Amino acid sequence: MSEFAIQVKNVDFSYQENEPVLNNISFNIKKGQYVCLIGHNGSGKSTLAKLLVYLIEPMHGEIYINDLLLCEENTKKIRETVGIVFQNPDNQFIGSTVEDDIAFGLENRCVAHENMQKIVREYAEKVDMAKYLEKEPSELSGGQKQRVAIAGILALNLDIIIFDEATSMLDPEGVEEIKRLIFNMRKANPNLTFISITHDVEEAYLSDYVILLNKGNIYKEGTPFEVFENTNDLAELGLDLPFVLKVKKALKEKGMNIPTNIKSIEELSDYLCK
Amino acid sequence: MTNVFGKYVNYNTIIHRADPRLKIFCLIAFMVMCFLPYGNFMNTYAVLLILVLVIATLMIISKLSFLDFFKSLKFMWFMAIFLLIINVFIPYNGKTDLHEMIVFSNGYIIYWEGVMNTFMVLIRLIMMVALTMIFTATTTPMDITYGFEWLLYPLKLLKIPTQVVAMTMSLALRFIPTLLLEANRIMKAQKSRGVDYNRGLISRKIKSITTLIVPLLVSCFSISDDLSLAMNARGYDPYAKRTRYRVLTFKKADLFLIISILILLAGFITISVFANSVGINLLETIFREIPKGSTF
Repeated sequence: MSEFAIQVKNVDFSYQENEPVLNNISFNIKKGQYVCLIGHNGSGKSTLAKLLVYLIEPMHGEIYINDLLLCEENTKKIRETVGIVFQNPDNQFIGSTVEDDIAFGLENRCVAHENMQKIVREYAEKVDMAKYLEKEPSELSGGQKQRVAIAGILALNLDIIIFDEATSMLDPEGVEEIKRLIFNMRKANPNLTFISITHDVEEAYLSDYVILLNKGNIYKEGTPFEVFENTNDLAELGLDLPFVLKVKKALKEKGMNIPTNIKSIEELSDYLCK
Repeated sequence: MTNVFGKYVNYNTIIHRADPRLKIFCLIAFMVMCFLPYGNFMNTYAVLLILVLVIATLMIISKLSFLDFFKSLKFMWFMAIFLLIINVFIPYNGKTDLHEMIVFSNGYIIYWEGVMNTFMVLIRLIMMVALTMIFTATTTPMDITYGFEWLLYPLKLLKIPTQVVAMTMSLALRFIPTLLLEANRIMKAQKSRGVDYNRGLISRKIKSITTLIVPLLVSCFSISDDLSLAMNARGYDPYAKRTRYRVLTFKKADLFLIISILILLAGFITISVFANSVGINLLETIFREIPKGSTF
């Protein structure tokens, strides 16, 4: 077993001929890391997510998940390794009530009926939805629906979880709830590899590793600090700078000499207060 | 959406707790009872009155509101007028023992029987509506689907994938509110662009409806696309074996229910048989002094 949870090797993908969405992409993701895939609309992020969970097949190249090649024969094993939470909270709510939806993946896995009740209750509690077990989706807010989707994925006890812009359709309160949940989820299971596809540079700045996509190519990858500090043309890629780096840049332009190794808001305020 | 009569309401009554498979069977049994022929008018009305009382009791037990029920009968007016026209104006030529109500100068006669027939059919239809609504208001869509799937079980022997049919049904039920919301959203968006859904000639109205239907159809496709991806990603395989989160169990109360419904059904069939083939009329056997033919 290698140290990588995901290995992508020279992957190409296009929906229509001569319009490549992804162009010879290669990268590796280490086990247990929190990785953010960022990029502007149309940079191929969501396509990449679908490739990683084998909803679509690459035209060329190979993808390995826990050393398992993504191909037709391995579909069942892939589904037991990697799960995804999509963007639209309504369109991925399959069951007619909260409990049915959490149980959906378990039913597909042929978990025995007696265990299922226990698991559903346990994970509903984890996402703080135990009170709403019998509610229908129309009675829930977007954030609550997304939490149910997360419970459904967590209940499957997967090694790799992908969030495909899971917070982009939620109100700020819902986003905060989901972020808290991600934090708890990673704390509870340090071996979980978590991949977040996002526009949110603040979220990306707090992750372990960032892959910056642009027009179907990997523009840059590395730790968030490396990626954001050393990229001067972020605005052209349709992305913003994280708040700390923005402040640093503005102060530098005013003529202040800020050390380059300051990374967090605490470090910056400590330095400024000296 | 919240006040629709017949939408599932969560109470804990005997009828709510009963097995959905059994409820479907009861629904069918009651419909048969409603539509069995019971001989002459007097007899039929007497039997229908009993059924109305039984159904009203069921409504009370399942805690349905009568007010909501009568409100939901609004659309029956159209039906009633239609039935009246059909029943009153069909010619009763050649039949004897009819009772004239109005004789027109050109010789056309409206008979009492036509009016009586109308009311008979109307009462039966209203009972059907009531029964269906009791059923849907006391059974969750999910349970209806499971019950339905179980009843489709014989088709499995013919290699028809009943579990796929059931999944399709439950997804359709699940997405009704979502699509209604979507339709509302599109309507508001189109109204803000100047589409008028309420006024104008019929041809204009139909034209403006297309501005609703086309985007709705498009979003239907995008929803189903998203949904299929989500289902696939969570390991759904329509033809593979799956376990069930909800398991239907047959309880003691259900046994009691099935026995009583069978007795009831047998009773009504007996009345019908005696009233028709043997020629004994219920009321006439009980109250012998009512002579034959004085039904009206």
